[in-house]
Amino acid sequence: MSIFEYNGSAIIGMAGKECVAIGSDLRFGVQFQTLATDYQKIYRIHDKLYLGLAGLGTDAQTLAARFKFKHNMYKLREERDIRPSTFGQLVSSTLYEKRFGPYFCSPVVAGLDKDNVPYLCGMDTIGAIETAKDFMVAGTAPDSLYGMCESMFRPDLEPEELFEVLSQCLLAGTDRDALSGWGAIVHVITKDKTNSRTLKGRMD
Amino acid sequence: MAGFNFDLCKRNSFLESKGVKAPGYTKTGTTIAGVIFKDGVVLGADTRSTAGSTVADKNCEKIHFIAPNIYCCGAGTAADTENVTGMVASQLDLHRYATGRESRVVTAMTLLKSHLFRYQGHVSAALVLGGVDFRGPHLFTVYPHGSTDSLPYCTMGSGSLAAMAVFESGYKDNMSRDEAVSLVDRAIQAGIWNDLGSGSNVDICIITKGKVDYLRNYKYFMDKTYVRKFPVCYPPGTTTVVREKMVALKDVDVIEGEASEAMVID
Amino acid sequence: MGESQYSFSLTTFSPSGKLVQIEYALNAVSAGATSLGIKATNGVVIATEKKLRTTLVDETTVQKISLLTPNVGVAYSGMGPDSRVLVRKARKSAQAYYRLYKESIPVAQLVRETAAVMQEFTQSGGVRPFGVSLLMAGYDENGPQLYQIDPSGSYFAWKASAIGKNMTNAKTFLEKRYSDDMELEDAIHTALLTLKEGFEGQISGENIEVAVVGEDGKFRVLTPAEVSDYLEEVE
Repeated sequence: MSIFEYNGSAIIGMAGKECVAIGSDLRFGVQFQTLATDYQKIYRIHDKLYLGLAGLGTDAQTLAARFKFKHNMYKLREERDIRPSTFGQLVSSTLYEKRFGPYFCSPVVAGLDKDNVPYLCGMDTIGAIETAKDFMVAGTAPDSLYGMCESMFRPDLEPEELFEVLSQCLLAGTDRDALSGWGAIVHVITKDKTNSRTLKGRMD
Repeated sequence: MAGFNFDLCKRNSFLESKGVKAPGYTKTGTTIAGVIFKDGVVLGADTRSTAGSTVADKNCEKIHFIAPNIYCCGAGTAADTENVTGMVASQLDLHRYATGRESRVVTAMTLLKSHLFRYQGHVSAALVLGGVDFRGPHLFTVYPHGSTDSLPYCTMGSGSLAAMAVFESGYKDNMSRDEAVSLVDRAIQAGIWNDLGSGSNVDICIITKGKVDYLRNYKYFMDKTYVRKFPVCYPPGTTTVVREKMVALKDVDVIEGEASEAMVID
Repeated sequence: MGESQYSFSLTTFSPSGKLVQIEYALNAVSAGATSLGIKATNGVVIATEKKLRTTLVDETTVQKISLLTPNVGVAYSGMGPDSRVLVRKARKSAQAYYRLYKESIPVAQLVRETAAVMQEFTQSGGVRPFGVSLLMAGYDENGPQLYQIDPSGSYFAWKASAIGKNMTNAKTFLEKRYSDDMELEDAIHTALLTLKEGFEGQISGENIEVAVVGEDGKFRVLTPAEVSDYLEEVE
């Protein structure tokens, strides 16, 4: 068994036109035993920056707390919110520090940069960044998520359609993964608001 | 620099002893290559990175900046190549400030190999380092364990054999710039088409005395072979929403007076 | 640092609440060559005297203004060797910032980090405060900036400031000459005039150093020839 399969997760980040969306499933389980169906894997860093952490739950929570701390310190020091691209690099540096004893998490960073340009990136567990203009996935069934996104994604989607595309990719992608699913949550970030919607999904 | 933290090693090896496998890392399977020509060095790389057999990034950058006159192609674990080159770039930058001189390629090579040797191959970066300094053009390969070669033409990565086949048949001494670029391009393409760890596009970097031409996506092969005539469109309302929470953002960014609230981890 | 129990800080409060070591450090600064800086609307200029004790020294090897990052530089008044320690540390922390965020360090952050080092040396055991004040100039997302850092570790942002031997006169001169809508070229002229005002002997491109950073974000120390040209313009 891979350590990623201990809790199960599915995350998709997707870029649209002056908007970006990030969604995850809501299952929390220990191997095949589902323990909760309201487990959020996406963390708000600030108004226009969200961090998704797929992988081992305990490490995800530790990392989320560390990044919250790091952002708070950054904000106090520099008197500004961190830029998404800068935050991506910070996540990468933090993970690479543990190169030989990593956190078992693979992050997805989604945010709106200056002039509301979407920023999207993902990483492996030791912080090798891949930036994406289109979409980014992470979790226990990346291949089926990739498959959905590759065929459904179109560039320059408006917020409402971006939500639909991401949601459908997430729901369909997790249907073929026993370890993720059980509902989902999708955050759409636009220049003047964030919209968080909880989706109805298969509960099996 | 490079202070690694080993806190989680014990836990992770315990998990491994219980039969839980650690996830793999993003690799750059990679074809990278370089040649020395009449006036300088040409470096080349493909742009595929892989996670297992899945293509993780279709257009990543494998030619890393080391100094204004030195660049380095990286193969192996993506995080390692990125960080080891970044670290050496940083050290050389400080060195240039201290000495006021242009960096030498051997200096970069020595910094790279001493770091890699210190970690006994665990930092898995296989590099092709090229640049032009006051002594002229230089090209090195650096292996993950810290050994190095100085060569007129070299290849690295999983596609190195395919690329070397092209070099062995096509390399000449004192090539012109165009000849060298075309040779490297063909070598990288040999990797792209014949090695599964390599793919997508060709990046080229030409370094001559006082000038660098970084030709990102010199050849672009990434376009989809088909485009849907009628893409699937989900009309609004397709997805069943159970709950919705909308947060309007304030126009003004309040920085002060949020401290206590900001400390709450939600 | 020190192993013995006697390696307590040299900087100890006097009964009246003064830290005399810091005041002595400021005296060292006041004895040093004059440096000044002016923030213009589109850039910053810093200038400093480069007078040598004897004509036998090869003045081409003396550098008083240093680059910290491509867009930030620093001039000092006071003890040269002390300033080099700070320059080295500042460059290193700029690199550390870049390695962490892959973004170049904002001027204000570099000032803060350098000031923190100077503060540490007023409170640690086995060390003495730095005998320098720094003028740090840079251009970043927040536009042109000019900071002064003192041996105590306190720092201020200035429109124009001077440190060193002639600082009082120079500041008075700057107060008269400064205007908020000043452009970089004007600022260079004013800087040279200010420096010239308190200069002992004949001012030239060889015995002062001038550096500018403009909207291109490139901090650049002017060559003696360029400085001479500017000097001719102000005459």
